[in-house]
Amino acid sequence: MTRTRRSFVVAVITLGVAAAIAVSSGRYPIALSTFAQLLHFPFSPTDTHAPLAQTVLVLWSVRLPRILMAILTGAALAVAGVVFQGLFKNPLVSPAILGVTTGANFGAALAMLLGGSALLLQLSAFTWGLIAVGLAYQIGKRGDHSITTLVLAGVIVSALFMAGISLIKCKADPLGQLPAIVFWTMGSFNSIVWQDVTTGGTLILIGIMISYRLRWGLNPMALGEEDARALGLDVSRRRLGYILVATLTVAAATAACGNIGWVGLVIPHMARMIVGADHAVLLPFAGLLGGIFMLAMDTLARTLPGGEIPVGILTAVVGAPFFGILLVRNRRQAWSP
Amino acid sequence: MALLTVHDLTFDYDGTHSVLKNISFAVAGGAICGLLGPNGSGKTTLLKCINGILMPNRGEVCINGRPVAKLSRKTIAGLMAVVPQLTQVAFAFTVLQMVVMARIACLGMFDSPCAADWQAAEAILDKLGLAHLRHRPFNSLSGGEKQMVLLARALFQDPLILLLDEPTAHLDFKNQHLLLDRVQSLTKDKGLTTILTLHDPNLAVRYCSDLVMIKGGRIHRQGTTHAVFDAGVLTSMYGMDLSIETGDRGESFVVPTTAGNTPTLH
Repeated sequence: MTRTRRSFVVAVITLGVAAAIAVSSGRYPIALSTFAQLLHFPFSPTDTHAPLAQTVLVLWSVRLPRILMAILTGAALAVAGVVFQGLFKNPLVSPAILGVTTGANFGAALAMLLGGSALLLQLSAFTWGLIAVGLAYQIGKRGDHSITTLVLAGVIVSALFMAGISLIKCKADPLGQLPAIVFWTMGSFNSIVWQDVTTGGTLILIGIMISYRLRWGLNPMALGEEDARALGLDVSRRRLGYILVATLTVAAATAACGNIGWVGLVIPHMARMIVGADHAVLLPFAGLLGGIFMLAMDTLARTLPGGEIPVGILTAVVGAPFFGILLVRNRRQAWSP
Repeated sequence: MALLTVHDLTFDYDGTHSVLKNISFAVAGGAICGLLGPNGSGKTTLLKCINGILMPNRGEVCINGRPVAKLSRKTIAGLMAVVPQLTQVAFAFTVLQMVVMARIACLGMFDSPCAADWQAAEAILDKLGLAHLRHRPFNSLSGGEKQMVLLARALFQDPLILLLDEPTAHLDFKNQHLLLDRVQSLTKDKGLTTILTLHDPNLAVRYCSDLVMIKGGRIHRQGTTHAVFDAGVLTSMYGMDLSIETGDRGESFVVPTTAGNTPTLH
């Protein structure tokens, strides 16, 4: 237990450090001493106090919402990854397994094709993410109700929506809409404003909080359907509950920030290597780790020389080799093949 | 009155041919009832029907007169605990984490086990002499240790009835006897009733008070071990020649007598 507690303390400190670096760095660097100065003034974005007005503006309306959203999104994807991996008793599962991200991509692309506002785009992405998973769940339910059928149903639905996205790309205006759609699917926190945090961010937070309360039940669920039922679980009902919460969380995150892959697959692994398989500990730790990772990647994405690149590219480029190194170095078997 | 009754149970997986047909028997409280039969005879399916994991097409299973089909999973888990044939789990849960999962039936959806639950789980492991394993990953244990841990988990459910699905399947000679000795003494000490499927008639005659023999999904013979453990009955059930010998201490054991004449493999 002491080892676990130490891991949590280290993670929280790391998150704090990452947030401090993220707040102070960027195209408009803010020295740490400026923060001390800021503390002396009443914190108000409309304050016209000459030397610090611009700093406050950058900090309040650009950097803070973006940082908050990056942490929340990273945590959301990692937590949903833990839930789905436990539910499907398979460490190779990502939150996209039932088609939520493909559905959200489709929804976003559709909104861009029809020329909706940013809010409409998010709403469309969110709704279509839920629709995709709903479809997969219904197909799985009407089949033999097993996990395998559910996974196959997810594959089917993803393929269908993938075709839909391709069709939209075909029909989209190649100069304006097409690049927008392509960039959106790469995922970015570039356009995050406070409104995203108060809507999508709140949804994500609710999803994470419910997942947190449900976390321990994932242990018996991960033993497989028969064993879980023998232990006294109403497996179908619980499964639906977990899918609902995880899908809501991922749909909210994807709608606001686009398609950011890799985090939901890899962060749960890393967390499992550090704190073990018990979902009671794993889920919150993976959330923390996901937040740290996403914030670090986003900070990197906007400070790298040569202009900002979509964070989805970085999560893969940095995450994949890092995961490889961990696999080689950490022999402690946290899951079985 | 019998604690558990199975009445005219019929079950099929695909709606065409029955796996179990007109199975009826009763198990008295305190009994160790062995389900014996050749491969594919429906022993494991019957065990799953008893536990309500599979729903029979006809007939019913009752505990103290209450039909299992009408009970919630939660209630069933308080009445019956299963020692499954679980050899590998997807994630590296420790032994203690495995055992404490027996608490899920008593906890709400939003709850986690409390400190008292963890202590009680440790106590159960301690009682079964498994305390030294508690922080080991379940997957790294030997077959015998795994079965003992799953037995500890089943006991932690505090059930009336213990169901074991081929508990000796992956165990060596010594571990088979260690496990069944333990099951026997626990059944007596804790006032449990045990139903288990077995492959080896020699283990059945040694540990079971009652036997239900199944062949081709039907009851072949049932009764007290003393009454039904008979060379003729076993010969027709397994479809091979065998004889029952009596050892120096009066114990019965079965030996095949088909040397040189290979029976067809089923």
